[in-house]
Amino acid sequence: MLLEVKNLNAGYGYLQILRDVSLQIDKGEYVGIVGPNGAGKSTTMKTIAGLISPMSGSVVFNGEDITGLSGSAVAKKGISFVSEEMNLFVNMTVQENLYMGAYTIKEKHLKNERLDFVFELFPRLAERKKQLAGTMSGGERKMLAIGRGMMSNPSLMLVDEPSFGLAPQLTTSVFASLEVLIKNGMTILVVEQNVTKTLAVTDRGYVLENGKVGLEGNSADLAEDSYVRKVFLGV
Amino acid sequence: MSKNIVADLTAWVRTAAGLSMTIAVIVAIAATIHTGPYLLVNTIVTGGMLALVATGLTLMLGVLNIPMFAHGEYFMIGSLTAYYIFTPISEFILEHPDSWLVTFGPFIAILGALIGGAIAGAISEKLVFGPLRRRSTDNWVMNSFLLTVGLSVLLVNLHQLIFGADFKGIVGYWQGMPISIAGAYISLDRALAFIISAVIVALFYLFMTYTRTGMAIRAVSQDITGAEIVGIDIEKIVLLTISLACALAAVSGGSLLFMIPSYPSVGLEPLYMAWFVVILSGLGNILGAVVGAFMVALLKVITVEYVGAGWDFVVPSALIMLILIFKPSGIFGSDVRGVLDK
Ligand SMILES: Nc1ncnc2c1ncn2[C@@H]1O[C@H](COP(=O)(O)OP(=O)(O)OP(=O)(O)O)[C@@H](O)[C@H]1O
Ligand SMILES: [Mg+2]
Repeated sequence: MLLEVKNLNAGYGYLQILRDVSLQIDKGEYVGIVGPNGAGKSTTMKTIAGLISPMSGSVVFNGEDITGLSGSAVAKKGISFVSEEMNLFVNMTVQENLYMGAYTIKEKHLKNERLDFVFELFPRLAERKKQLAGTMSGGERKMLAIGRGMMSNPSLMLVDEPSFGLAPQLTTSVFASLEVLIKNGMTILVVEQNVTKTLAVTDRGYVLENGKVGLEGNSADLAEDSYVRKVFLGV
Repeated sequence: MSKNIVADLTAWVRTAAGLSMTIAVIVAIAATIHTGPYLLVNTIVTGGMLALVATGLTLMLGVLNIPMFAHGEYFMIGSLTAYYIFTPISEFILEHPDSWLVTFGPFIAILGALIGGAIAGAISEKLVFGPLRRRSTDNWVMNSFLLTVGLSVLLVNLHQLIFGADFKGIVGYWQGMPISIAGAYISLDRALAFIISAVIVALFYLFMTYTRTGMAIRAVSQDITGAEIVGIDIEKIVLLTISLACALAAVSGGSLLFMIPSYPSVGLEPLYMAWFVVILSGLGNILGAVVGAFMVALLKVITVEYVGAGWDFVVPSALIMLILIFKPSGIFGSDVRGVLDK
């Protein structure tokens, strides 16, 4: 088991959002979380990433208890979070943003290896490496955020809404790049609005509603599930 | 090719930054021709000092979102530290005029000021800013502002209680002959004060641009969550930034001790001037702060020269208000939105 989240309760201040959320991810798995707006999908990711400290419950990564560690400490353990807001460094160039993604790597040649890998995956970023991140288009920023998340050579990537605000064509290419990462042995937990798409590409899925895990199982089975079809797919 | 350069140049002059810098250079040249080169010398020395204080202020504002109103007190701490280090040194020099301390003693005092400022900044973070940040970041800008005002009052009064309210000054750092440049005589102290601030500002710029830690500081200033996600230890960077900012103000106070003696509220004037610079050049813009520092210094020197000594706060602040009405983001305000603008 690469990541095991057990009975997680978390929220903002006194406001509790997550109620006993549990999930497990094996190495090399491609797992999705789907659910309506405000269900707590992003909150789950932020809690795993260490940006929110949970009220109770535990997060175990690679056999090590990382509950309540700071975001930077979690990043150093090998978890990379690509947030919904992207949180890019707007006054830095594309290349500088990518190098910052490899902040936890000290050796210059290893950083450059990662950079080549990201540029190969997203040729668009290579073309625009001297451009300021703040002047990039929405789709390019998303690619940059994902690229930056890959720079630290993480063992687990948490990707929040990779297709948010993207045109269908770009959505396809972003999902294709995640697919390439999975083929390279990466483990990914992805959160998406696009339920059909998510359940089509992932191995397993969790349905989150009102801060609780409602359903879980193989993505193919979930896609056939009558409740999921009624609530999320409108059929 | 040359046509392009001319076109680029005219385009640049038409921007707010270009226009104000061009006007500043013209005014400086005109005033120098009219009254003499000492005016330029004063501008450069004051500007160098101001650049140090203002970059520190910019750091506090841009990286930590703290509107720092206690920054002058770190200038004061620097001058006080330099005074207490240099006084015994200068007594020693009187008895041993051939000692190596004649040349290097002042550097020790100024270095002491730098270290003293860094330590004072670190202590302030540990005792004041850190506890507030961990308690709550709601209303952060207002709360931290009030905190710095309190800190300022506290430090001024501590100085008065412990060291007294009198002027603690020195006759001079270096006793050599004044240097003559283009008919203007510059005392060694002034020349070295400027060189020290120029070297420190340059080193600081290189540090911020090219080193891993400098990039981390910039990353925190642009997106603190993004910085945390990529594994930057925020607490460490905050501590470093505060002590760096305070050290910059303190080294300025230390290197100007020959001109400005230390007393409890000595930091008030550099603080106001540095705020003029920061507002003028756009909040959180480090390079802009350096250029802005020389512009504000010029404005002050010229006001003193042509309008009168009592006006040196009135004219610059009036002009800054005017500029802000027409360009609210400051003359070097960048086109790219940062975290502060959200
Ligand atoms: N910083 C915050 N402070 C207070 N409440 C918040 C904060 N962020 C989110 N919430 C609340 O927490 C709940 C869950 O939000 P979350 O962002 O996790 O939802 P989500 O499932 O990611 O939704 P979406 O699909 O819209 O992204 C929402 O009701 C939201 O209003
Ligand atoms: Mg969300």
